Amino acid sequence: MTHHFRRGLDIVLEGRPRQAVGPANPVRSVAVFGADYPGLRPGMLVAAGDEVARGDALFCDRRRPEIVVTAPAAGVVEAIETGARRRLSLLRIRREGDAARRFEPPEAPTRDGIAAICLQSGLWPGFVERPFGRIPDPDSAPDAIFVTAMETDPLAADARVVLAAGREMFAAGLGAIRLLTQGPVFVCQGAGPEVATGDGQIRAERFAGAHPAGLPGTHIDRLFPLERGGTVWQVPYRDVIALGAVLTGGTLPETQIVALGGPGIRNPRLAEAPPGAALDDLARGELREGQMRVLSGSPLSGREASHLRRRHWQVCVLLRHQPQRPPRGWWPDHAAARRPAPVVPTLALGRALGPDLPVVPLVRALSVGDVETADRLGCRALLEEDLALVSYAAGGVQDFGALLRHALDALEVRA
Amino acid sequence: MIRGLWTSDTVGWLLVAAGAPAAVALFLDQGVPGLARLGMCLALVFAWQVVFRFNLGVPLAPASAVAALAVALIAPPGAPLWQVAVAISFGVVIGELVFGGWGRHFLSAGTVALAFLSLSVPNAVWVPAGDTLFWAVLPGAALLLVAGILPLALVVAYAAALAAVAAALGLDEPIRGGAGTLAFAAVFLAADPVAAGATAAGRWIQGAVAGALTALLATGTSLPQAAVFAILLAALFAPLVDQGVIALHFKRRRARRGRA
Repeated sequence: MTHHFRRGLDIVLEGRPRQAVGPANPVRSVAVFGADYPGLRPGMLVAAGDEVARGDALFCDRRRPEIVVTAPAAGVVEAIETGARRRLSLLRIRREGDAARRFEPPEAPTRDGIAAICLQSGLWPGFVERPFGRIPDPDSAPDAIFVTAMETDPLAADARVVLAAGREMFAAGLGAIRLLTQGPVFVCQGAGPEVATGDGQIRAERFAGAHPAGLPGTHIDRLFPLERGGTVWQVPYRDVIALGAVLTGGTLPETQIVALGGPGIRNPRLAEAPPGAALDDLARGELREGQMRVLSGSPLSGREASHLRRRHWQVCVLLRHQPQRPPRGWWPDHAAARRPAPVVPTLALGRALGPDLPVVPLVRALSVGDVETADRLGCRALLEEDLALVSYAAGGVQDFGALLRHALDALEVRA
Repeated sequence: MIRGLWTSDTVGWLLVAAGAPAAVALFLDQGVPGLARLGMCLALVFAWQVVFRFNLGVPLAPASAVAALAVALIAPPGAPLWQVAVAISFGVVIGELVFGGWGRHFLSAGTVALAFLSLSVPNAVWVPAGDTLFWAVLPGAALLLVAGILPLALVVAYAAALAAVAAALGLDEPIRGGAGTLAFAAVFLAADPVAAGATAAGRWIQGAVAGALTALLATGTSLPQAAVFAILLAALFAPLVDQGVIALHFKRRRARRGRA
């Protein structure tokens, strides 16, 4: 069934990637970021200098040690950087060789067998649970699973191209994922050939419209709203393909397709690169003249980073604007004022949120930290990614994703 | 990360640009004294903003110039300057700055200032402005509409309700004579993007209430005063209407979206 999403914003940016997989630079290092695993307190399983194979466990969750994060490529652990409160900020691997750890697919597909191989291969953290956006508990089962088989972020890869390259693996992964829940598995795709055939459990849904039509938050709100309680897991089709690769080939895929785009890149295209690839390596020789910002992720929600982060499949290169001169006295800027600039309701803001919630009251509640009102207005079902376009439409004066995270943390403590 | 254009400053400058033709109409209608009054109002708004900027860290906001323009345009032409000065000061301080500046207000400063003036000087003669101002408001309204700042539903509901109730009461003639004032009040006071209702249905209701009340109140008082009070009352109830609309929205969602 096709769902037409009538809100949304079409953001026009230069440097739309050509939707064909082209050559990529060799990648010399890969990295894993601690911040990509919210709520996970890492217990290190490797030390700097250790040799690791692709698929070897790097660290685990101290509270749930069966959840591990694995090496995206083979090599030598070059650096383990810790940030505030001695949390892991980045683990960098210098690539060497192509050793890969083999995973034994379960003989008969069972729920526990699939969960075990997801856990061992480090694909379990690809699942995100709503409400609250955490890595789900390995013993729990959701009321529904949402497989997002489309990308509508500006400058993103066309999911059709990626799926065409990994069709069998997607099917294998989907067949395994359905065992993780008793409830429905929604496969949400955009235009193009059908990626899954519906049956009693799998529900094939199509979404059409401008971004955020392709975000799981939008799909969940339409198909399985969380207001009556329950939990939903969301998983990107990229992780389903990776799981399929593990089940059929026994090893984690060596590369994934990433989109290189943005006004700062000479030849915007798709390219194959290992997960967590160094952005310096990917962008070497690709940039236009001038000062550039290399972002991991979409122009809306991406961040400047040294390496590609988890749940990011695009590199976008934007022009770096010169830092603004300090104001000359008589017209003090907002940064000098003591509070952030207010949000003005505009047409763009009203169209920016995927779920059908009152966006202006919600944004106002979040910006003043009114957790009760935000909860009443439905913030529990949202994640940071759902508010990236809202932050954009509100002029970028406040990061509503971060404000939502504060509200969700407060609600989670109470729950 | 990229940022959209619509910061409060962008919106503020667009509102100023949209109001500029109305300032020209003010000059055409009232000549140099009108402009002098506008200049004084602008100077006072800026002075109060500077006071709050340096004492309480409230950011300066270009959009507050619209309040100065509204007072200069709609206040009784014969009112002494000191009365106008007190009114605009009250409006911008109590309507806007005490809440943290433009963007955090819930009533537009211009409406507050004019309502204050109307209450405190009961025997002043309020003169509605006619076609010159009306034609000057249109390009501004078009600019705001294209920029996505004008809540169109509110303006349409205002005009429709005003026309309907005025026709029922036989008030067509005075309304036509005050078209300029009414258009300005609808676009720049009632449809203030921040103070307007936050939900689509709320905006329709708010506009309809303001329009109907304008026509009703115009039977007993001058047209500008009627418009100002109608808009003030509708804006006061806008948050309540929004609450109701949101409650209904969630009730409908729960009813419609039972588990499959």
